[in-house]
Amino acid sequence: MSLKLFSLRHLFKKPICVTSNQTTLYQNNVVSNLTNFSTSSIACVNFFNKLPAEKLWKSVTSVSNAGAKKGRGKGAGRIRIRDLNRGQVIGVGKINMLWPGLSAPVIRGRELLKQQRLPDDPERMEKLIKLRDSMTKFRRLKLSPIERGWSGARMPGRSIGPPDPIGDDEFTGFDTKVLQLRSLLIMKGTLGRTRNYQAMVVTGNGQGLAGFGFGKAKEATAALRKAKNRAGKKLMHFDIYNGHTIFHDFFTAFGKSKIFVQKKNEGYGLCCHRAIKEICQAIGIKDLRAKVEGSNNLQHIVKAFFIGLLQQRTHQQLAEEKKLHLVEYKAENEYYPTVVASPSVVRTKEEIPKDETLDFIQYVMNDKVILKRKKFPRFYETMPHYDIFLKKFERYRNHEKIRLNLKVEYGEVKSFLNDKYPEEKVESEA
Amino acid sequence: MSLFKLFQKNTKNVINHYNNLQITAISSRKLSILPSIYDGEQDPGPKFFSSGVQALLKRLTRPDFAKVFRKRTNSNLSVLRTPKYKFLTDEELKAEMSKANQTAARLLQMPPVVKVHEPINEVLSKDPALVGYDTSKYLFTDITFGVPNEHRLIVERNPDGTLQNCDHDTRKRLNQIYFPMQGRKVREPIMFADEEKFNGLLEAEKYEYILDRACIQYEPDEPNYQKITSITYQHVDMKTNFNLLRSTRHFGPLVFYLTWHQSMDNLMLELLQSGIVREAVLLMGLRHAIHEDITNADEVNVLVPQILPTPVQLTKPETLSEEDIQMDNKCVDCIAKYITNNSAMKSQQELALQGFREDYQQLVDLSRGLKKAHGNA
Repeated sequence: MSLKLFSLRHLFKKPICVTSNQTTLYQNNVVSNLTNFSTSSIACVNFFNKLPAEKLWKSVTSVSNAGAKKGRGKGAGRIRIRDLNRGQVIGVGKINMLWPGLSAPVIRGRELLKQQRLPDDPERMEKLIKLRDSMTKFRRLKLSPIERGWSGARMPGRSIGPPDPIGDDEFTGFDTKVLQLRSLLIMKGTLGRTRNYQAMVVTGNGQGLAGFGFGKAKEATAALRKAKNRAGKKLMHFDIYNGHTIFHDFFTAFGKSKIFVQKKNEGYGLCCHRAIKEICQAIGIKDLRAKVEGSNNLQHIVKAFFIGLLQQRTHQQLAEEKKLHLVEYKAENEYYPTVVASPSVVRTKEEIPKDETLDFIQYVMNDKVILKRKKFPRFYETMPHYDIFLKKFERYRNHEKIRLNLKVEYGEVKSFLNDKYPEEKVESEA
Repeated sequence: MSLFKLFQKNTKNVINHYNNLQITAISSRKLSILPSIYDGEQDPGPKFFSSGVQALLKRLTRPDFAKVFRKRTNSNLSVLRTPKYKFLTDEELKAEMSKANQTAARLLQMPPVVKVHEPINEVLSKDPALVGYDTSKYLFTDITFGVPNEHRLIVERNPDGTLQNCDHDTRKRLNQIYFPMQGRKVREPIMFADEEKFNGLLEAEKYEYILDRACIQYEPDEPNYQKITSITYQHVDMKTNFNLLRSTRHFGPLVFYLTWHQSMDNLMLELLQSGIVREAVLLMGLRHAIHEDITNADEVNVLVPQILPTPVQLTKPETLSEEDIQMDNKCVDCIAKYITNNSAMKSQQELALQGFREDYQQLVDLSRGLKKAHGNA
């Protein structure tokens, strides 16, 4: 490819040479009055000065239709069109001339400038070549860390703003996140195989309102816009427990995708699939753990999670179903029993059948039990060096605490014998 | 038996140093609060532990479960835990609540108020043959398992040959070395030793923190403990920050301290201003139980057992029943007599009582009107 470029540059330079030859020829003719007259014709016209730059570039950069379908002419090795006019100014050329009225003012001060030759600038061509080379480099789109999505400059995970207003109703406080953007190939009767883009986005205001939508279009941006506006039309409301988490653990599935979702304490954060995290942020859920099992189909995961959220029962509903008080115990409150919901009628102990599920988690998971895998020891824990490390480290285990305590009591780390036998003070660099 | 050898000179130096520090620090205190400790003729212990006074103090603490069971950061939880849920029947819920009441009682257990201990000067034997046997003294500690710390045998043999029981300071240090109590330090923490830091805590109104830490660091009969608590109580009284200590285990000893030292009128004024007259009567009852100097003691003694079983008033009532009105009126009469005869802040308390009467009359009219409107009158 570089060979091709080189030849191009070589060819490009040629016409200038040709013309200059011509002028010298002409001048010679004038001077010597047709002494060296020749009848052989000189070709002054070739495709370089006959065709426009656009067509010349196309001849180098074009890829056949079949090649384009295979993905040729893309990526790092691709030839890029260079604007050779960049960095060139009218009136400034190879020979450094001063043209009053073109590259310089006609009158400077009280002096009338005259056309004159200035000393040559040897770096001019180098600068131009450098500028042209800079256009060929493949540059990746750079995004600020705040705008970045899940991966690089790709769309999934990126924010695309609130949905467009419908009539006078604006979506204030909403934000849309792209969950998926992919190209699909569809067959058309006349056009054959064509490319389509499909987008899946989630939009929400972080206060319980959220929805997701799909959009398909020939262009990625159009697909995203369609998806965003559709998501804005399909908003759902979700109750958030104490403004930070879900009401109870639940299991949900769509297709082969299964999700186990767990309610968590304040400050736990969102420990889940990245798409579920975006959904939670759109809704306003702050603490939750979710484990996806089975298929990793993103659309199924999103649908399953939304279905699971919609099928949640509030504490009042649970209490009414069970006809029992629902009581919450928190470790930080010394396990004080807080009644979060009471039914209208409470059953007595005699009315509860023997085989009824009374365990809260078992009940809300619909008697599904999560398989907890056995935790194996870390690979290094069975090795002999770990035993040696433990034995060696044992004598240091409290040192950190003791250092801290010494610093609190004496202001520095020193022995209790220091009062009686003080250490000699090392003179600071004199 | 184990042997603990200390360099005599060293210990002496340290003790002297400590004493000097404290004396200078107290004299340079900005707040000029003089600590008063329970070191007089009378022992406050029997009065404090008597069931009548305990009931009064517990009721005056005004336990609010929202505060008693508030989120605590000191329960050894590095991160919060996911809450647990249970389905309970009525009976089970009642049992759980009674359990919670027991927990509350444990959390609100008051630190004892007792007299300052006497110094120990008990010489066991003098052996002139041992004079000059060593340059330092020997300490002997009986570390038998199961002996309570206060009954542990700890003796010292001085270089002049005397064998005697150790003083409280040494005893405490040795006990802490052999049987460490979690949170207690062998040396006095800087927040207590350094007056500037202590005053900083007082200014920041971290009363509960100071008192909690003092409970861990000291024994209740130590003079240092009583000094620190006394300064804290006086600071609370001075700034009228009683609400910061309500629903905590320190409110009982605070009220007892103020009443014992005849300076409970500020608290009485605060009670009247917040319109809780029943507790004001209970406070009068406490004063009578301690000093027996209330003129209308018979009235108070009749009212107190009537007030104790009534529920704790955490918020202002919206409607009143006839019995409530009757009892509150009795309380107000009783307080009015107290103000004229025993109070040290007569004018302010009278004003507060007058304000309460006006507010109360409105409330009475409202609830009677409501009753009439509902047709139950």
